[in-house]
Amino acid sequence: MTPALPDILIGQAAALATPLPPEAQGEYLAGRVGIMAMLCGLAAQEADRGPAARIWENRAVAELIAKATGAPIELGEDTTWRGLDAENARLRRGLIELHEAAETRGDAALQMEILQLYVEMAAARRLTLGG
Amino acid sequence: MSLADQLAAYLTRTSGEPTRVEGLSRISGGASRETYRYDAVTDQGRGGYILRRDPPGSLIETDRRAEFLAIRSFAGKDVAAPEAVVLEEQGAELERPFFIMRRVDGGVPASPFAPDPFAARAGAIGDQFFSIMGRIVAEPLTGLPILEALSPPAPEDCWRRELDYWAGVIEADEQHPQPIVRAAIRRLRHRPPPPAARVSVIHGDFRVGNFLHDGAGRILAVLDWEMAHLGDPLEDLAWAMDPLWSNPADPRISGMVGLDEALAIWARASGVEPDLAALDWWRLFASVKGQAIWISAAKEWRDGGFAEPILAFSGWFTARRQDEILAARLAAMGPL
Repeated sequence: MTPALPDILIGQAAALATPLPPEAQGEYLAGRVGIMAMLCGLAAQEADRGPAARIWENRAVAELIAKATGAPIELGEDTTWRGLDAENARLRRGLIELHEAAETRGDAALQMEILQLYVEMAAARRLTLGG
Repeated sequence: MSLADQLAAYLTRTSGEPTRVEGLSRISGGASRETYRYDAVTDQGRGGYILRRDPPGSLIETDRRAEFLAIRSFAGKDVAAPEAVVLEEQGAELERPFFIMRRVDGGVPASPFAPDPFAARAGAIGDQFFSIMGRIVAEPLTGLPILEALSPPAPEDCWRRELDYWAGVIEADEQHPQPIVRAAIRRLRHRPPPPAARVSVIHGDFRVGNFLHDGAGRILAVLDWEMAHLGDPLEDLAWAMDPLWSNPADPRISGMVGLDEALAIWARASGVEPDLAALDWWRLFASVKGQAIWISAAKEWRDGGFAEPILAFSGWFTARRQDEILAARLAAMGPL
């Protein structure tokens, strides 16, 4: 899922450094600061849980694809945000193909397994306002 | 020259009388257009207005003419549409396209993320909310200004036109593979809904947060018509019901009324008895459309140099919440 935490932090810095015209100094500025405060809270959650969620998802997707296809998938060792996301993109593309194939051949059991994995993937990346 | 000076120059030229602009202030929210409130002051008096100007980059690519004409289509009708005053598609003195509406004072929007946004007024607000939505559907298309910008689809094409559009947005703007929303798109194509019961004006973003209420149980204005189009009446209903706009711990729709009551109110006002199987299709579609918007927001945020934090919020927090909603719905529906 994009954006990744480094993008968020770069964006916060850019937004803070951007001068606003006079007509945007009142209610708009207050709203903007409020959103940036929420982003800071979300960023704290992501800094805490984001890498673990990515490592878990990458492993879970790799295992499901390997089980369904019989072809083992080797995971990389790059645990930077960029490295984990690049691997995640590769695995998610494989998961999309696997799901399409399961639908085409009417493999209900595999479809359900994938749908359940989607639920767990989304839950693992959950962010909470005020949390 | 400041924006206030530019606007005053435009108003003076077009009205033929010297006009001052006072209290020009950008309003937060409204990521698809820059929105400002101001007073126009002449020798004749003072009036409150809203300026909606195209931003350099926006959350959603929308047709400002269709938005303007949709609002104008409901002038004087009982749907709390603001009064659309003027549209300048070439931008004139303001350099970017814009339109002006009369301001509705005395109201506040509710946050979709508030735990109980309407408290004791929830029933009254819910009754008006779904009644207004139904009355928009009930409005015959013949002669409406919006027809100057849009052509009605055939009833059997409504779903495909919307799905093709939003799937195309995802295809164009996705920056990381999204298996969940792609699975939902395949399901929607595999099991399309029946033809629309009628073709009507669709507000396109009719939900909590996009109307002003007076705090005493009365809706004063329905805003944000930028995604207005013509289509299946169930589309607006399903969009308003998306769990994204509701507190997950509250069974009511957006903290207003329960599902059965909402459907009954809407059916009375629209004259359309909702087909529940078709509504299920449109509810899954609503989550796909939502995810398309949030995916677009993330791209817009990056492409726009990270200038608007609201785009980061939409493309990050909201996108993840939408994925949870989609995944839960797909799992409940089971295999294709």
